[in-house]
Amino acid sequence: MAESRHETVRDPGEVSLGDRAAHAVLEYREGRPAALEEVVREMTPLLWHTVRAQGVDPQAADDVVQDTWVALVRHMDTIAEPHAVLKWLLVTARRGAWEAVRRRRRDEQHRTELHDGPDPETGAHREVPSSDPAPDAVVATNDRDRTLWTVFQDLPARCRELLRLVSLADRPDYKYISEAIGMPVGSIGATRGRCLAKLRTLLDESGADDTWRHA
Amino acid sequence: MSTPYSPDEPLDATDEAVLADLGRVALLADPVPADLVERSLFAMTLAALETEVMTLERMPEAAGVRAAETAPTQARTITFTSTSRTVMITVAPGVDGVRIDGWIAPTGEVDIELHRPHGEVLTTRTDEDGRFAFDAVAPGPASLVARPDDGPAVSTPVIEL
Repeated sequence: MAESRHETVRDPGEVSLGDRAAHAVLEYREGRPAALEEVVREMTPLLWHTVRAQGVDPQAADDVVQDTWVALVRHMDTIAEPHAVLKWLLVTARRGAWEAVRRRRRDEQHRTELHDGPDPETGAHREVPSSDPAPDAVVATNDRDRTLWTVFQDLPARCRELLRLVSLADRPDYKYISEAIGMPVGSIGATRGRCLAKLRTLLDESGADDTWRHA
Repeated sequence: MSTPYSPDEPLDATDEAVLADLGRVALLADPVPADLVERSLFAMTLAALETEVMTLERMPEAAGVRAAETAPTQARTITFTSTSRTVMITVAPGVDGVRIDGWIAPTGEVDIELHRPHGEVLTTRTDEDGRFAFDAVAPGPASLVARPDDGPAVSTPVIEL
Protein backbone atom coordinates (compact mmCIF):
# COMPACT_ATOMS: atom_id res chain seq x y z
CA MET A 1 0.00 0.00 0.00
CA ALA A 2 1.23 3.45 -0.89
CA GLU A 3 2.36 5.71 1.85
CA SER A 4 -0.72 7.26 3.38
CA ARG A 5 -0.71 10.87 4.36
CA HIS A 6 -1.48 11.40 7.98
CA GLU A 7 -0.84 14.00 10.62
CA THR A 8 2.38 13.55 12.51
CA VAL A 9 1.58 12.42 16.00
CA ARG A 10 3.18 14.95 18.26
CA ASP A 11 4.37 14.54 21.78
CA PRO A 12 1.19 15.06 23.88
CA GLY A 13 3.20 17.44 26.03
CA GLU A 14 3.51 19.82 23.11
CA VAL A 15 -0.19 19.99 22.36
CA SER A 16 -1.90 22.63 24.46
CA LEU A 17 -5.28 22.45 26.15
CA GLY A 18 -6.66 24.76 23.44
CA ASP A 19 -5.40 22.44 20.69
CA ARG A 20 -6.95 19.42 22.37
CA ALA A 21 -10.26 21.28 22.76
CA ALA A 22 -10.26 22.25 19.07
CA HIS A 23 -9.56 18.65 18.08
CA ALA A 24 -12.33 17.44 20.41
CA VAL A 25 -14.90 19.75 18.78
CA LEU A 26 -14.04 18.43 15.32
CA GLU A 27 -14.24 14.85 16.63
CA TYR A 28 -17.59 15.48 18.28
CA ARG A 29 -19.02 16.88 15.05
CA GLU A 30 -18.00 13.63 13.38
CA GLY A 31 -19.95 11.68 16.00
CA ARG A 32 -17.03 10.78 18.29
CA PRO A 33 -17.58 12.31 21.74
CA ALA A 34 -14.73 10.58 23.62
CA ALA A 35 -12.16 13.36 23.06
CA LEU A 36 -14.59 15.99 24.33
CA GLU A 37 -15.14 14.01 27.53
CA GLU A 38 -11.39 14.16 28.18
CA VAL A 39 -11.42 17.92 27.55
CA VAL A 40 -14.32 18.37 30.00
CA ARG A 41 -12.30 16.54 32.66
CA GLU A 42 -9.24 18.63 31.96
CA MET A 43 -10.82 22.05 31.47
CA THR A 44 -13.51 22.11 34.17
CA PRO A 45 -11.01 23.45 36.78
CA LEU A 46 -10.15 26.32 34.42
CA LEU A 47 -13.85 27.17 33.91
CA TRP A 48 -14.51 26.87 37.64
CA HIS A 49 -11.79 29.40 38.44
CA THR A 50 -12.94 31.66 35.60
CA VAL A 51 -16.41 31.82 37.15
CA ARG A 52 -15.23 32.05 40.76
CA ALA A 53 -12.88 34.93 39.87
CA GLN A 54 -16.00 36.99 39.00
CA GLY A 55 -17.23 36.74 42.61
CA VAL A 56 -19.81 33.98 42.07
CA ASP A 57 -20.59 31.78 45.10
CA PRO A 58 -19.76 28.06 44.81
CA GLN A 59 -23.31 26.79 44.30
CA ALA A 60 -24.07 29.27 41.51
CA ALA A 61 -20.60 28.67 40.02
CA ASP A 62 -21.42 24.98 39.81
CA ASP A 63 -24.49 25.79 37.68
CA VAL A 64 -22.61 28.27 35.48
CA VAL A 65 -19.89 25.71 34.67
CA GLN A 66 -22.48 23.06 33.74
CA ASP A 67 -24.42 25.59 31.66
CA THR A 68 -21.21 26.53 29.82
CA TRP A 69 -20.60 22.92 28.79
CA VAL A 70 -24.25 22.52 27.78
CA ALA A 71 -23.96 25.71 25.69
CA LEU A 72 -20.98 24.18 23.91
CA VAL A 73 -23.04 21.12 22.92
CA ARG A 74 -25.92 23.32 21.77
CA HIS A 75 -23.67 25.60 19.70
CA MET A 76 -21.32 22.90 18.50
CA ASP A 77 -22.25 23.38 14.84
CA THR A 78 -22.14 27.16 14.93
CA ILE A 79 -18.64 27.56 16.34
CA ALA A 80 -16.97 28.92 13.23
CA GLU A 81 -13.41 28.59 14.47
CA PRO A 82 -12.82 25.39 16.41
CA HIS A 83 -9.27 26.51 17.19
CA ALA A 84 -10.77 29.34 19.24
CA VAL A 85 -13.04 27.07 21.31
CA LEU A 86 -10.98 27.63 24.47
CA LYS A 87 -11.58 31.37 24.18
CA TRP A 88 -15.28 30.74 23.34
CA LEU A 89 -15.67 28.65 26.53
CA LEU A 90 -13.95 31.26 28.72
CA VAL A 91 -16.05 34.11 27.29
CA THR A 92 -19.25 32.07 27.74
CA ALA A 93 -18.33 31.16 31.33
CA ARG A 94 -17.59 34.81 32.19
CA ARG A 95 -20.89 36.00 30.73
CA GLY A 96 -22.71 33.31 32.69
CA ALA A 97 -20.86 34.42 35.83
CA TRP A 98 -21.83 38.08 35.36
CA GLU A 99 -25.46 37.05 34.87
CA ALA A 100 -25.26 35.03 38.13
CA VAL A 101 -23.78 38.04 39.96
CA ARG A 102 -26.54 40.33 38.60
CA ARG A 103 -29.19 37.83 39.66
CA ARG A 104 -27.74 37.61 43.18
CA ARG A 105 -27.62 41.40 43.52
CA ARG A 106 -31.25 41.64 42.39
CA ASP A 107 -32.26 39.00 44.94
CA GLU A 108 -30.27 40.69 47.70
CA GLN A 109 -31.79 44.05 46.90
CA HIS A 110 -35.22 42.46 46.94
CA ARG A 111 -34.54 40.86 50.34
CA THR A 112 -33.14 44.09 51.77
CA GLU A 113 -36.27 45.90 50.65
CA LEU A 114 -38.41 43.23 52.30
CA HIS A 115 -36.59 43.14 55.63
CA ASP A 116 -34.48 46.18 56.09
CA GLY A 117 -31.65 45.66 58.53
CA PRO A 118 -29.53 42.79 59.75
CA ASP A 119 -30.23 39.18 58.99
CA PRO A 120 -33.05 38.12 61.35
CA GLU A 121 -31.53 34.67 61.90
CA THR A 122 -27.88 35.45 62.47
CA GLY A 123 -28.06 39.14 63.36
CA ALA A 124 -25.25 39.71 60.89
CA HIS A 125 -25.22 42.59 58.46
CA ARG A 126 -25.40 41.44 54.88
CA GLU A 127 -22.36 41.86 52.77
CA VAL A 128 -21.19 40.56 49.46
CA PRO A 129 -18.69 37.81 50.19
CA SER A 130 -15.28 37.98 48.55
CA SER A 131 -14.80 35.13 46.13
CA ASP A 132 -11.21 34.33 47.03
CA PRO A 133 -10.89 32.28 50.21
CA ALA A 134 -8.84 34.01 52.87
CA PRO A 135 -5.21 32.86 53.13
CA ASP A 136 -6.13 31.18 56.43
CA ALA A 137 -8.66 29.06 54.64
CA VAL A 138 -5.97 27.49 52.50
CA VAL A 139 -5.03 24.03 53.55
CA ALA A 140 -1.44 25.15 53.32
CA THR A 141 0.85 22.26 53.97
CA ASN A 142 3.93 24.44 53.97
CA ASP A 143 5.09 28.03 54.44
CA ARG A 144 5.90 28.40 50.79
CA ASP A 145 2.29 27.79 49.70
CA ARG A 146 0.98 30.09 52.42
CA THR A 147 3.39 32.88 51.44
CA LEU A 148 2.52 32.51 47.77
CA TRP A 149 -1.24 32.69 48.40
CA THR A 150 -0.89 35.62 50.82
CA VAL A 151 1.31 37.62 48.44
CA PHE A 152 -0.96 36.73 45.52
CA GLN A 153 -3.89 38.45 47.31
CA ASP A 154 -1.96 41.76 47.14
CA LEU A 155 -2.13 41.79 43.34
CA PRO A 156 -4.82 43.80 41.54
CA ALA A 157 -7.97 41.77 40.79
CA ARG A 158 -7.29 41.70 37.03
CA CYS A 159 -3.84 40.24 37.63
CA ARG A 160 -5.22 37.68 40.06
CA GLU A 161 -7.72 36.54 37.44
CA LEU A 162 -5.11 36.31 34.67
CA LEU A 163 -2.53 34.42 36.74
CA ARG A 164 -5.08 32.10 38.31
CA LEU A 165 -6.25 31.05 34.85
CA VAL A 166 -2.90 30.72 33.10
CA SER A 167 -1.61 28.69 36.05
CA LEU A 168 -4.21 26.05 35.09
CA ALA A 169 -3.46 26.06 31.36
CA ASP A 170 -0.60 25.44 28.95
CA ARG A 171 1.71 28.13 27.68
CA PRO A 172 0.42 28.26 24.08
CA ASP A 173 -3.04 28.97 25.59
CA TYR A 174 -1.94 32.11 27.43
CA LYS A 175 -2.73 34.41 24.54
CA TYR A 176 -6.29 33.05 24.20
CA ILE A 177 -6.83 33.42 27.94
CA SER A 178 -5.57 37.03 27.88
CA GLU A 179 -7.86 37.82 24.95
CA ALA A 180 -10.86 36.14 26.54
CA ILE A 181 -10.57 38.18 29.73
CA GLY A 182 -9.82 41.41 27.85
CA MET A 183 -6.18 41.77 28.85
CA PRO A 184 -3.77 43.29 26.32
CA VAL A 185 -1.98 40.89 23.98
CA GLY A 186 1.41 40.08 25.46
CA SER A 187 0.13 40.25 29.05
CA ILE A 188 1.91 36.97 29.58
CA GLY A 189 3.45 34.38 27.31
CA ALA A 190 6.72 34.98 25.50
CA THR A 191 7.54 37.57 28.12
CA ARG A 192 6.81 37.54 31.81
CA GLY A 193 4.31 40.36 31.61
CA ARG A 194 3.26 42.95 34.15
CA CYS A 195 1.25 40.67 36.47
CA LEU A 196 3.81 37.92 36.88
CA ALA A 197 6.61 40.51 37.22
CA LYS A 198 4.66 42.09 40.06
CA LEU A 199 4.12 38.73 41.77
CA ARG A 200 7.81 37.86 41.46
CA THR A 201 8.78 41.23 42.92
CA LEU A 202 6.37 40.81 45.83
CA LEU A 203 7.68 37.28 46.48
CA ASP A 204 11.23 38.67 46.47
CA GLU A 205 10.27 41.36 48.95
CA SER A 206 8.71 38.74 51.21
CA GLY A 207 12.05 36.95 51.11
CA ALA A 208 10.47 33.88 49.56
CA ASP A 209 11.55 34.12 45.93
CA ASP A 210 14.81 32.28 46.63
CA THR A 211 12.76 29.28 47.56
CA TRP A 212 11.53 28.98 43.99
CA ARG A 213 14.81 29.93 42.37
CA HIS A 214 16.60 27.14 44.18
CA ALA A 215 13.76 24.68 44.11
CA MET B 1 16.24 45.92 48.83
CA SER B 2 15.29 43.77 45.87
CA THR B 3 15.17 44.87 42.25
CA PRO B 4 11.75 44.73 40.60
CA TYR B 5 11.44 42.09 37.90
CA SER B 6 10.96 43.34 34.35
CA PRO B 7 7.72 42.50 32.55
CA ASP B 8 9.64 42.43 29.24
CA GLU B 9 12.03 39.62 30.09
CA PRO B 10 11.34 36.13 28.72
CA LEU B 11 9.37 33.79 30.98
CA ASP B 12 12.03 31.83 32.87
CA ALA B 13 12.10 28.55 34.79
CA THR B 14 11.34 30.27 38.11
CA ASP B 15 8.28 31.96 36.57
CA GLU B 16 7.08 28.56 35.46
CA ALA B 17 7.69 27.08 38.91
CA VAL B 18 5.77 29.93 40.57
CA LEU B 19 2.85 29.48 38.14
CA ALA B 20 2.79 25.71 38.69
CA ASP B 21 2.66 26.24 42.47
CA LEU B 22 -0.01 28.92 42.09
CA GLY B 23 -2.21 26.54 40.09
CA ARG B 24 -1.82 23.86 42.74
CA VAL B 25 -2.54 26.25 45.65
CA ALA B 26 -5.54 27.81 43.85
CA LEU B 27 -7.07 24.34 43.48
CA LEU B 28 -6.42 23.66 47.19
CA ALA B 29 -7.86 27.01 48.27
CA ASP B 30 -10.91 26.82 46.03
CA PRO B 31 -11.43 23.18 45.11
CA VAL B 32 -13.58 22.20 42.17
CA PRO B 33 -16.65 20.28 43.48
CA ALA B 34 -15.80 16.58 43.29
CA ASP B 35 -18.61 15.52 40.98
CA LEU B 36 -18.83 18.66 38.81
CA VAL B 37 -17.18 16.91 35.86
CA GLU B 38 -19.59 13.96 36.01
CA ARG B 39 -22.62 16.22 36.32
CA SER B 40 -21.39 18.37 33.44
CA LEU B 41 -20.91 15.31 31.23
CA PHE B 42 -24.41 14.09 32.12
CA ALA B 43 -25.92 17.51 31.34
CA MET B 44 -24.06 17.53 27.97
CA THR B 45 -25.34 14.07 27.07
CA LEU B 46 -28.91 15.15 27.83
CA ALA B 47 -28.49 18.40 25.87
CA ALA B 48 -27.32 16.40 22.86
CA LEU B 49 -30.69 14.57 22.82
CA GLU B 50 -32.22 17.86 21.63
CA THR B 51 -35.46 17.21 23.47
CA GLU B 52 -37.81 19.84 24.79
CA VAL B 53 -36.95 20.22 28.48
CA MET B 54 -40.01 20.15 30.74
CA THR B 55 -40.60 22.46 33.67
CA LEU B 56 -40.51 21.09 37.20
CA GLU B 57 -43.69 22.06 39.03
CA ARG B 58 -42.93 23.10 42.59
CA MET B 59 -44.60 20.87 45.15
CA PRO B 60 -46.13 22.73 48.10
CA GLU B 61 -44.41 20.47 50.66
CA ALA B 62 -41.04 20.97 48.96
CA ALA B 63 -41.18 24.76 49.09
CA GLY B 64 -37.79 26.21 49.82
CA VAL B 65 -36.10 22.82 49.85
CA ARG B 66 -34.15 21.53 46.90
CA ALA B 67 -35.14 17.99 46.05
CA ALA B 68 -31.52 16.85 46.14
CA GLU B 69 -31.13 18.06 49.71
CA THR B 70 -34.02 16.00 50.97
CA ALA B 71 -33.01 12.58 52.19
CA PRO B 72 -34.89 10.05 50.06
CA THR B 73 -36.54 8.27 52.96
CA GLN B 74 -40.12 8.55 51.79
CA ALA B 75 -42.11 8.59 48.60
CA ARG B 76 -42.38 11.91 46.81
CA THR B 77 -44.41 12.95 43.81
CA ILE B 78 -43.04 15.28 41.16
CA THR B 79 -44.87 16.82 38.22
CA PHE B 80 -43.25 18.06 35.01
CA THR B 81 -44.96 20.01 32.26
CA SER B 82 -44.21 21.13 28.73
CA THR B 83 -46.39 22.69 26.07
CA SER B 84 -47.42 19.25 24.79
CA ARG B 85 -47.16 16.84 27.75
CA THR B 86 -47.46 16.41 31.49
CA VAL B 87 -45.47 13.75 33.36
CA MET B 88 -46.15 12.86 36.97
CA ILE B 89 -43.87 10.48 38.85
CA THR B 90 -43.76 9.03 42.33
CA VAL B 91 -40.29 8.08 43.55
CA ALA B 92 -40.22 5.64 46.45
CA PRO B 93 -37.30 3.95 48.17
CA GLY B 94 -37.41 0.16 48.08
CA VAL B 95 -35.30 -2.74 49.28
CA ASP B 96 -33.36 -3.18 46.04
CA GLY B 97 -33.23 0.49 45.09
CA VAL B 98 -35.65 3.19 44.05
CA ARG B 99 -39.00 2.53 42.41
CA ILE B 100 -40.46 5.04 39.95
CA ASP B 101 -44.15 4.94 39.10
CA GLY B 102 -45.13 7.39 36.41
CA TRP B 103 -47.96 8.58 34.25
CA ILE B 104 -47.93 10.69 31.10
CA ALA B 105 -50.72 12.75 29.60
CA PRO B 106 -52.19 12.95 27.03
CA THR B 107 -52.45 9.18 27.49
CA GLY B 108 -51.43 6.62 24.90
CA GLU B 109 -48.49 4.30 24.40
CA VAL B 110 -45.24 6.22 24.64
CA ASP B 111 -41.59 5.09 24.78
CA ILE B 112 -39.99 6.18 28.04
CA GLU B 113 -36.23 6.31 28.70
CA LEU B 114 -34.51 6.72 32.03
CA HIS B 115 -31.11 8.35 31.45
CA ARG B 116 -28.34 8.01 34.03
CA PRO B 117 -24.74 9.27 34.10
CA HIS B 118 -22.11 7.38 32.07
CA GLY B 119 -24.50 6.83 29.18
CA GLU B 120 -26.69 4.30 30.96
CA VAL B 121 -30.25 4.22 29.56
CA LEU B 122 -33.19 2.08 30.73
CA THR B 123 -36.23 1.91 28.47
CA THR B 124 -39.85 0.94 28.85
CA ARG B 125 -43.17 1.66 27.18
CA THR B 126 -46.31 2.96 28.85
CA ASP B 127 -49.55 1.04 28.84
CA GLU B 128 -52.49 2.49 26.93
CA ASP B 129 -53.43 4.60 29.95
CA GLY B 130 -50.00 6.27 29.94
CA ARG B 131 -48.68 4.43 33.01
CA PHE B 132 -45.07 3.26 33.33
CA ALA B 133 -42.69 2.06 36.03
CA PHE B 134 -39.01 1.44 36.67
CA ASP B 135 -38.20 -0.89 39.55
CA ALA B 136 -35.04 -1.30 41.66
CA VAL B 137 -33.19 1.66 40.18
CA ALA B 138 -29.91 2.83 41.76
CA PRO B 139 -30.08 6.18 43.59
CA GLY B 140 -28.42 9.20 41.97
CA PRO B 141 -29.06 11.74 39.21
CA ALA B 142 -31.53 10.85 36.49
CA SER B 143 -33.58 12.32 33.67
CA LEU B 144 -36.70 10.84 32.06
CA VAL B 145 -37.23 11.17 28.32
CA ALA B 146 -40.61 10.53 26.70
CA ARG B 147 -40.74 9.83 22.97
CA PRO B 148 -44.35 9.95 21.75
CA ASP B 149 -44.99 8.48 18.30
CA ASP B 150 -46.89 11.60 17.28
CA GLY B 151 -44.94 14.51 18.72
CA PRO B 152 -41.62 15.93 19.83
CA ALA B 153 -39.57 14.13 22.49
CA VAL B 154 -39.61 15.77 25.92
CA SER B 155 -37.24 15.34 28.86
CA THR B 156 -37.34 16.20 32.54
CA PRO B 157 -34.66 18.28 34.23
CA VAL B 158 -32.14 16.21 36.18
CA ILE B 159 -33.63 14.90 39.42
CA GLU B 160 -31.96 13.08 42.29
CA LEU B 161 -33.40 9.61 42.84
